[in-house]
Amino acid sequence: MAKQRIPVLRVSKLKKAYGPVTIVSDFSLEVWPGEAVALTGRNGAGKSTILRCLVGADKIDEGTIEVCGERMRESSPQIRRDLATVIDDLDFFPDLSVVEHLDLLARAHGLPDADAAVDEVLHEVQLVPQSGQLPGTLSSGQRRRLALATAFVRPRQLLILDEPEQRLDVEGVAWLAERLVAERQRGLAIVMASHEPTLVERVATRTLRIGGARGAQDGAA
Amino acid sequence: MSKRARKKASSRPGPAPAGDARPASPSPVAPVGPEATVPVQEPAAASVPSPAPADEAPPEPAGPVWHHSLVDLVPEPVSERDLRSLMKDWRRGRATRHIWEVIQDGYVAVLAVVMIGAMIASVVWRAQGIAAECTTATCQTGRTLLPWAALFGTLAVTLAVARLFGPIVASAAEGFWLMDAPVRRSRLLAGRLVAVVVVAGIVSALFGGLVAALTGSPLAEAGIWAAASALGAAGLTAFAAAEQGADRHWTVRVLTWLAGALGLTALMAVVAVAAGWTTLGFDLTLGVRLAGIVGGVGVVLLLAGGAAAFARLDGMRRARLLSGGSLVSGMQGAMFAMDVGLMRDILVERDAMDRGHVRPTRGRGLGVNALVWRDLQRLIRFPKSLLLLLVGLVVPYAVGALGLGSFSPFISGMVLMTALVPLLGSLRVLSRTKGLARAFPFSTQDIRRAVMTVPAVLALLWAAAAVPAFAGLGSGTQHLPLLDAVIHAGLTGVAGLLAAVRWVTAKPADYGTPMVQTGMGAMPPGLMVNLFRGIDVMAGVTGPLLLGWSPWVSVVIAGVVFFLLQGGMSMEEAQAMQEEQKRQLADLKGAQGTAAPAGKTRIPPPAKR
Repeated sequence: MAKQRIPVLRVSKLKKAYGPVTIVSDFSLEVWPGEAVALTGRNGAGKSTILRCLVGADKIDEGTIEVCGERMRESSPQIRRDLATVIDDLDFFPDLSVVEHLDLLARAHGLPDADAAVDEVLHEVQLVPQSGQLPGTLSSGQRRRLALATAFVRPRQLLILDEPEQRLDVEGVAWLAERLVAERQRGLAIVMASHEPTLVERVATRTLRIGGARGAQDGAA
Repeated sequence: MSKRARKKASSRPGPAPAGDARPASPSPVAPVGPEATVPVQEPAAASVPSPAPADEAPPEPAGPVWHHSLVDLVPEPVSERDLRSLMKDWRRGRATRHIWEVIQDGYVAVLAVVMIGAMIASVVWRAQGIAAECTTATCQTGRTLLPWAALFGTLAVTLAVARLFGPIVASAAEGFWLMDAPVRRSRLLAGRLVAVVVVAGIVSALFGGLVAALTGSPLAEAGIWAAASALGAAGLTAFAAAEQGADRHWTVRVLTWLAGALGLTALMAVVAVAAGWTTLGFDLTLGVRLAGIVGGVGVVLLLAGGAAAFARLDGMRRARLLSGGSLVSGMQGAMFAMDVGLMRDILVERDAMDRGHVRPTRGRGLGVNALVWRDLQRLIRFPKSLLLLLVGLVVPYAVGALGLGSFSPFISGMVLMTALVPLLGSLRVLSRTKGLARAFPFSTQDIRRAVMTVPAVLALLWAAAAVPAFAGLGSGTQHLPLLDAVIHAGLTGVAGLLAAVRWVTAKPADYGTPMVQTGMGAMPPGLMVNLFRGIDVMAGVTGPLLLGWSPWVSVVIAGVVFFLLQGGMSMEEAQAMQEEQKRQLADLKGAQGTAAPAGKTRIPPPAKR
């Protein structure tokens, strides 16, 4: 298959600094379909920064990022089509209910049977009772489930998740692990940062430990 | 609590500095007795295990040792006044400068305020004199009805603000530290009740009196209007506080709508009379006498509502008090950053939380059309914003009827902008953070064009309905040929839409960038510009019309503004594309360098110094 010849994500010599402090330097990564890469490491090691760069939320200082062969440009429709993300900058429409958010995303991505897809995901994230609720009234855990649902309700090639287990209960983490394993087995690529060892163990095919202290250039990721 | 105990408690050292890190452990409660009744955290190292009875071996302590359990604690009666004075002590103890020193340091600002105040007073005084000389029917009508519109408008706004905030509020800290304590809430909140009632009265008096004076009413009459506004607003605020105590909202909501409807009716009557569509069939001095009645009703409400509110202060729900307090602190933060967009976001979020739940509707269309359809469904679900647009349609007619037709594009456009902002909610969310926009498989331009579609159609409909106003419907107005009226109305509609889009999509001031030195101190670039967002676009597009230039100038300006606002030239994207081109060029050069034709020597470029 032609698609398998290029990696879903190719990062080459990525460098990101905030002022004089280098957070990430010389970071390279290739992720192929069916692979799940977990970034681990202590707080402040640069995991979230790497993910923010990968999705285009942060501008990189050096290096290149390609998604399905296309150079990363955050506003590129093709990249937006291929890349589903759950990082900390997701916002919701205050006047649209839970189910309407999912419905809108499914339709925007051109799903012919949007209703079925939305129902399935809604059941899966256990937000059926909250389907008519506005996002402002959801608990933090429910908001997290909604955020994950926005990534699962649409077509994607690559899933980038920043600490997806955050604010999920034990059952929620177990469900998430199962779901991500299924995603991987279906041939999708996953890059995630996590502090949850069980999630990393179950999902990841490769684990990258991001180390080094903030401000120490030689120790950056 | 004794003064000695208070002094002792307040003189205890505060929390340890950040560098003095100790392992976290539950804090023991201070010894009980007259010497110290305020629980004070002691360092864990100071804990000493209490001696165990001699006949049994003490169990090995598994964790931190507590001197006293709460069961042993015999609480002293707490005086609310002492608590408040203790809080005052703490606050004053942390202040580094006295208020008078601050005023001395900021004397330039104080002088500026005094001078501006004097100028405003002088302008109002002179305007009142000039307006009082006017005896035309328009002036007479304005003098009779505009104070009514202002009075009811003020009352509606007072009620809306009171319902939004509480009107009685408490900060999160007060809620956590004081409301949990066995203290009488009425003692803590009584001063606050009086304060909100007084502030509502003063602000309303200023506004009511100002409008009456500007319409040319004699000063005595202006005083009556001011008093009526003050008493009415104060009475309604007291009533709203009483309803807050009863945890009831609908009464205040109904009164708000009623006052708003009366104000709007008075405003429309001014337009109708000024345009010659109707005449006032009653004695013009009747208004002032009726204002006295409004003041009287206000007094009754003030006394009855105030007494009821005071009686209910003890039972006032903490959640209700704190939600108003958190709203106030959020708005304060947005105000300090001069981010009016954020202020609106907070209010919208609050409104959504109050609503909580909606009946979900199935979307329509696929691709980018789904966004357009969803906006339409939103409009059907929340038609209030459409009502605002319809009310705004009165303005071009009112402006024309008052003989100010040449200013109509700007004035009407500003009102249209205000009415369109709530309709651009999707654009606001999709432009304030990139996370949600990234989830849609469209370019920024496509997204912006899609979420601007419904408001654009409404703006065009508004413009079509405003054409008669620009053509000079009614008497005493500026008459434009039909084609010119259509062009003026259309450009006003376009200007209103673009100004609203600019208002909604403007980025907040960036405090991370280097500051700019100004006469008022250091400021982040864009802070002042932020205040005039929307107005700048409006002035740019309608300015040529006001100056009598060719409408084509406005058309060209509007085209450029549209191109910029729909994301045609995002600086970030332009920069990213430039960098991408540079990289590609470098790659190409590298490839050419490695594949240099045989027989030719590649000369390396000179090294940069």
